Amino acid sequence: MVSLKGNLRMYLEFSRKSFQRSAAYRFEAWMRVFSNIIFLFMWGFIWYGLYRGRESVSGVTFQIVFSYVLISQMLQGLHSAGTPLWDIQEKVRTGDIVTEMIRPYDYPLRLLFADFGSIAFYFFTAILPIYTVIFILLKPVIPASPGQWLLFIFSAFLGYLIRYCLELTFGLFTFWLVETGGVEDIFYFAISLFSGAMIPLWFFPGWLNTLAKFLPFQGIFFVPNSIFVGQLSGKEILPALGVQFLWLAISFLILRFVWSRAANKIIVQGG
Amino acid sequence: MQSFVKAVHIYWYLVAASIRAQMQYRYAFVMNIVGWMMHYTGMGVTLWVLLYSFQTLEGWVFWELIFLFALSVLSWSICIIFFFHFRTLDQYIVKGTFDRFLVRPIHPFFHFMAMKFDIGAIGQLLFSILAFILAYSKLSLHWSFWKWTVFFGALLGGALIQGGIMVLISAIAFWTTRSERVFWVIMYPLRNLINYPLSIFPRAIQMVITFILPFAFVNYLPALLLLNKADPIFPPFWGSLSLLVGIVFFWLSFQVWLKGVNRYNSTGS
Repeated sequence: MVSLKGNLRMYLEFSRKSFQRSAAYRFEAWMRVFSNIIFLFMWGFIWYGLYRGRESVSGVTFQIVFSYVLISQMLQGLHSAGTPLWDIQEKVRTGDIVTEMIRPYDYPLRLLFADFGSIAFYFFTAILPIYTVIFILLKPVIPASPGQWLLFIFSAFLGYLIRYCLELTFGLFTFWLVETGGVEDIFYFAISLFSGAMIPLWFFPGWLNTLAKFLPFQGIFFVPNSIFVGQLSGKEILPALGVQFLWLAISFLILRFVWSRAANKIIVQGG
Repeated sequence: MQSFVKAVHIYWYLVAASIRAQMQYRYAFVMNIVGWMMHYTGMGVTLWVLLYSFQTLEGWVFWELIFLFALSVLSWSICIIFFFHFRTLDQYIVKGTFDRFLVRPIHPFFHFMAMKFDIGAIGQLLFSILAFILAYSKLSLHWSFWKWTVFFGALLGGALIQGGIMVLISAIAFWTTRSERVFWVIMYPLRNLINYPLSIFPRAIQMVITFILPFAFVNYLPALLLLNKADPIFPPFWGSLSLLVGIVFFWLSFQVWLKGVNRYNSTGS
């Protein structure tokens, strides 16, 4: 029990350190915000153009879709503050990852807590102020009750963990495949389409919607976004969270499995 | 004139070396091409899903949008063969390795341009030609000789416009020692923007994309002419001006680049 507490303190220290380090990369953070906002407006106008002359499509109004795009872009902004995939791949290729492995901590966990730190910094200094202004100016649909807010935040957090596990697992494949070119593009495509990051699953053709429902990606953005705009409410929320949990458990187990294999591979090669 | 012929000769000699270098890693080379084809196919599929429930975007149907998309990727793939590595100019300046471009018997611009001849662009090229052929037949187009002239003018002009912007972005490095990041912040979002009809965006953005960074001439304006579509502001004949705009814009960017080189002081390291 003591060691668990001590461990947690150690990992939180990683969060604190990366929070402080983020302050040194303010230029990068502003560049990221700039591009995030451009994409927000681009998608806003695309949906506006699609809805011109239409009241509602698939039972969804423009107001709802617009709010969906807003919250989705905000969450994607937060995700982008984490360690990027290529950084992990580079660590594996150069062998720098070995120095992480011989240290007395768990690398996937350390990376997660470090990302929490940089995301927190990015959230408070950039995303929160900017999106507060945008929300006040554009008046999107927001959760009606504190309960809905909590469910949204919880679901968004689960979504983050799912993406983290999947992306790190994919990054670790670099141990076996030095060149991941084509596979990588399929992976990114799957994440961006099936997570509902840009297009809500409501507008998918029936069969594709069914397929998306059976993939882990919808738990990343689609579920939290839908809770936020109220398209997912009441009795439907619990099963959706359950599915998110299930995918998190599965992707976590896969990550641990791949990680242990990768660790073995390093030991063999280093012998 | 003689020196120009010599410069072109040296340019192709360096290009041949660059191609040989890229072909050394055969597997990586092929995976890179496959990767780009996957990337753009993914974008096309996303467009299809987007249009599935709506059918039209401001009067543009799916295949017209694919045509717009293919036109931009096609000229972009020509552009990246020659200019994609210009975004990395900042590294040469920061490391002080830019000096060597100034002491060789070839113009520094040509020399830097010859640093890489990106044959990985075949991926984009294959995708966009395929997408173009599909769109052409799905829309049952039958172009006259004049329209084909406009089309090839748009390709060349589009490559020059985007090449000009790459040159301009690289020139920023002479003043600020930053170019790669500027590329990702300006070029990447803008290239995404022009995959959609310009008319969906507010007037101010349309003006910037037409008159300041003339991306509109890369695909939107030529597409209006080639697909017989109407726009509330731009008359169709503007689509035939791409090549002219491309030449002027590239020349201006080139002048800025030359100004930058004159201003360049080595870090001396």
